[in-house]
Amino acid sequence: MTASIWMGRQRLKPLLAVTMAAILAGCVQLSAPEKPIEINLNINIRQEVVVRLQQDVKDLINKNPGVF
Amino acid sequence: MTRRLKLIFAAGVALAAIAGGAGVAVAMQDASASLRATGQVGEQADGYMGVVGSAPAGVRAQVDAVNIKRRAFYTELAAKRGAKIEEVAATTACEIFATKVGSGQYYRGPDGTWRQREGSAPVPRPGYCG
Repeated sequence: MTASIWMGRQRLKPLLAVTMAAILAGCVQLSAPEKPIEINLNINIRQEVVVRLQQDVKDLINKNPGVF
Repeated sequence: MTRRLKLIFAAGVALAAIAGGAGVAVAMQDASASLRATGQVGEQADGYMGVVGSAPAGVRAQVDAVNIKRRAFYTELAAKRGAKIEEVAATTACEIFATKVGSGQYYRGPDGTWRQREGSAPVPRPGYCG
């Protein structure tokens, strides 16, 4: 009796793994479409860095009119 | 006669290729400006272009192409100056907001809302722009 239950569990293991994987994959897929909508400016922009980069950025824009 | 015809044909093909190449080059040169002018595309505070509302797949593909190039430039400059890619991108957005967004064109601030530039009123820039 116990042996047959054990066997059943053994057989269930891969099934459980597949189910878990499917659930996890589902979670990832659910969160994916939400990301591109958000504008990613949560990072801290340091003003001194902005000032330091300003001239480089101006040059970059002027040299690549099709991109900026 | 046939040889001459072949030559003329070859010359024609070559000319068409040159003209086509020039056409692509011209299109590339003002890609971002003409995208902004459509009103379907705007400039974001994160340094990339974005689609305002729902735009056709062709427009979205052009936006993606521009953004891929921008990302490459930002990455290169960030490495050169020891800054974060996001900082280079945000600094570029400061400059784009000040000089590239025309009257009636769209911009998107850090709050994520698309707004239209009205008349000659300057586009408000994020505080860190200085």
